[in-house]
Amino acid sequence: MEALLVPSLAKVDRIIQETPDVRTYRLKFKDEVLMEKFTWEPGQFVEFSLLGSGECTFCISSSATRKGYFDCSIKKAGVVTADIHLNIEEGDEVGIRGPYGNWFPVEEIKGRNLLFVGGGIGLAPLRSLIQYCIDNRADYKDFTILYGARTSADLCYKEEIEEWKKNPNLKVVLTIDKPEETWKENVGVVPKILEEVVKPEIVNTKVITCGPPIMIKYTLQSLDRLGFAPKDVITTLEMKMQCGLGKCGRCNIGSTYICKDGPVFTYEQLKALPDEF
Amino acid sequence: MDYSNQIRDIAAKLFAEGKIDVFVGYRMSGFDDNQVPVVITDPKETSVLVFTEKSVFNLTNYLKADHTRNKKVGVVVKGCDSRSLNLLLTESQVKRDKLYIVGVACEGVVDDKGNKMQNCMECFIPDAVVFDEMLGKPQGKKDYIVNADITELATKGLIERGKYFEEIFENCIRCNACRHSCPLCYCAKCCIDQETSTLYNGTNTSSSAFHALMTWSLHLAGRCVDCRNCEKACPSHLPLHLLHKQNEKVIYENFQNHLAGVEEGDRGAFYKYSLKDPDDFIM
Amino acid sequence: MSFSTFVTDKAGLQKLFEAIISKHETYAPVEKFGKYDYKKVSSLKECDPDSPIAMTMSVKPLFFPRSSKIMKYESNSAGTSVSETEDDHLAVPRVILGVKHCDARGLQVLEAVNKWDYIDSDFLKRRADTVIFSSRCDKADTHCFCTSLDYDVENLDAMDVALVNGSGGKIYVQARSEKGENFLKESLDQQSAVGSQQPAMDDIKKQYEAFAASFRLKMDYKDVNEKMSKRFNSPAFEEASRNCVSCNTCAFICPTCHCFKISDVKIKDTGVRYKSYDSCNNVYFTLEAGGHNPRPAKYRRWRQRSMHKFVFYKERFGVNLCVGCGHCAISCPVNISIFDVVNHVASSPLES
Repeated sequence: MEALLVPSLAKVDRIIQETPDVRTYRLKFKDEVLMEKFTWEPGQFVEFSLLGSGECTFCISSSATRKGYFDCSIKKAGVVTADIHLNIEEGDEVGIRGPYGNWFPVEEIKGRNLLFVGGGIGLAPLRSLIQYCIDNRADYKDFTILYGARTSADLCYKEEIEEWKKNPNLKVVLTIDKPEETWKENVGVVPKILEEVVKPEIVNTKVITCGPPIMIKYTLQSLDRLGFAPKDVITTLEMKMQCGLGKCGRCNIGSTYICKDGPVFTYEQLKALPDEF
Repeated sequence: MDYSNQIRDIAAKLFAEGKIDVFVGYRMSGFDDNQVPVVITDPKETSVLVFTEKSVFNLTNYLKADHTRNKKVGVVVKGCDSRSLNLLLTESQVKRDKLYIVGVACEGVVDDKGNKMQNCMECFIPDAVVFDEMLGKPQGKKDYIVNADITELATKGLIERGKYFEEIFENCIRCNACRHSCPLCYCAKCCIDQETSTLYNGTNTSSSAFHALMTWSLHLAGRCVDCRNCEKACPSHLPLHLLHKQNEKVIYENFQNHLAGVEEGDRGAFYKYSLKDPDDFIM
Repeated sequence: MSFSTFVTDKAGLQKLFEAIISKHETYAPVEKFGKYDYKKVSSLKECDPDSPIAMTMSVKPLFFPRSSKIMKYESNSAGTSVSETEDDHLAVPRVILGVKHCDARGLQVLEAVNKWDYIDSDFLKRRADTVIFSSRCDKADTHCFCTSLDYDVENLDAMDVALVNGSGGKIYVQARSEKGENFLKESLDQQSAVGSQQPAMDDIKKQYEAFAASFRLKMDYKDVNEKMSKRFNSPAFEEASRNCVSCNTCAFICPTCHCFKISDVKIKDTGVRYKSYDSCNNVYFTLEAGGHNPRPAKYRRWRQRSMHKFVFYKERFGVNLCVGCGHCAISCPVNISIFDVVNHVASSPLES
């Protein structure tokens, strides 16, 4: 199995500072043939190695419909991510293994209205699906993106959000927790804006949500109140994943391995898992 | 040596008077005539408590924060156990007013085969040194004896000793049972658990075992009370006492006969300073 | 396919072992400090294939090493290079003597997860290249409960060659797999390979009956599986795990535990990535980067450990992740036995 744990080298093509503690690393495999063949479904993750420091799990935050590169958006949270932020520069080489995990059910959500609810860095896995759906726009009906962060500085993908706002086929609702002088849009936590401003259509709608645990907790309650069935709410779970192969035992909850049976789960599936995350 | 009845009575009384939330003692293992620790929270369970020459484990290990944090604890201690308790008190890991200490004037404990343990045969302070009540007749302090194995090893040459220790390090499986059984190892994040360290890391090469065990023994130097929890815990049966007893001997001989935890308020050897400390190495 | 049974005696067995050691790469229990661990041997004098149950470590590290190198990397001005490491010195044709039955069964249990999805081809190759000789278990030790866990001792093919004590000083050498059959045919001196089948089988059956009767511990594992699966929130886990000191010993010693951690060790611009044993009992096991820990309390980790062994792995792979060897209880600093823990939980009242 050791051979399965050896990463391939990828060059950091671009670094985009999204927020004070989040950076997007645009990656291209050193081996051009590998980069050409590499593909993934939205929601899958890779194991990203800063060689010598460690290996972390990050979702791929861009869609494979956009060829030639893949993005990892990384928040500074612990030892290895701090090392990544401090020491990786454009042109540096990192190790990548993947893609692993299951993915958003892109077939199942065809022909439906889509409501994306994201918070902070939680927009990263959703972005891969949003880009995929934009690139296959005709397959989906109404499209709403509700995205919030603590402050306006903490909103990720600011440039891309502006593009989404200009797109007549999408509706974008932004919010931040507390009022700011130059902020003209919504103020309030995501679940509150969901219920009071977005007021989503339930019929034929799938909700895809991701964000910090506290936001997820209250958002799921709001979605429940609004009448969404648990099987129509999709989220992606964050647990300490390590090998990505279903062997090391780190991500095991109940008889589920997050790296194999997830990280994408419906709320119905989450409810069936032991309360351990 | 059998204080089983007395300890049951004491524990029951302490619970009844609301003086403790938890009592840490010994009970029969249930599968042979050896004993294992028991952490009792239900007053009805005090009938399982025993204390004989098979009461080996140093129970102060359960006074570490992750076991009995913020609780009022009753605990049974022999001579060596009470010395580690003194150090835990001085090092602010337990509060004296949250403890009820049942001290024992220990006559020595035996191993699984029924033979008196080596540390008991060499024991210099069998009576508990800190207690709220004492069971048994105090025997008083004895002279300190250097461990017999250390004396024997000292007669061997450097190369031979090196080979012997190399075998110890090769057989270590890095399970950390020793550290988790030692009452005086309570760091929330042990330096030896640094997985990325070139010295320690998570591998079980003899080199990483050497660095891990040596660092551990040096962190315990001047604090180890020779309770042998570590050695009994080791699944590879490594003679860990050799590391600690050698340190103890060097400290005794060079730092004013210091022995760990003898008096309340005692600090480990390397946390105090005396003008008499050796300084012949200073240029 | 039926396999051959040969009969010999103590002296004949010694000669067989000596012949094997002289011709093949052989591992056997070697004593150090009173404990036996499987090491490569070059003579029978160095080892004891009849080492006592309680004093013998598991054979698991010969198939799933305590630590192994995944890769080496080097960074210089030309860029970074990653290389795989040396040849697997464990995946060579070899023989292991004196493997306890439970230990051999543990390897079969581990096959389930190693053959699932991403295949651990190293583990499987090491198994394929190894001929396993069992030890002569004829009496259960204090903590053994192998017979309670789907352990059909008469047909167990986890070992390639089973050694069984018979009546009157006879020792039966019984092939249990095609590999074992072929190996024995090559290795056995014709003079010691005697004995017709039926008397041998009757004698062996009597032996196993006596063996089965010698167990102190017995459990109905199906009952345990079913009851534990309903008791996730039971306070019994806290009661049963109170003495635990959260070291890693039980997982490292266990023939079936297989959790591992990946860590990089670097010196300036070069480094090695290792895979080494880990344990879900460890405080840091589920600790996440931001500081959140889903299993901060000891009882949660014990719940995960015991339920993974007797509920979750069974649900997923159809077999309990435990072979009843009792080594966790023997090696635990405070002698906690998983047998006691699961029975305590299974027999605790269901929450209202």
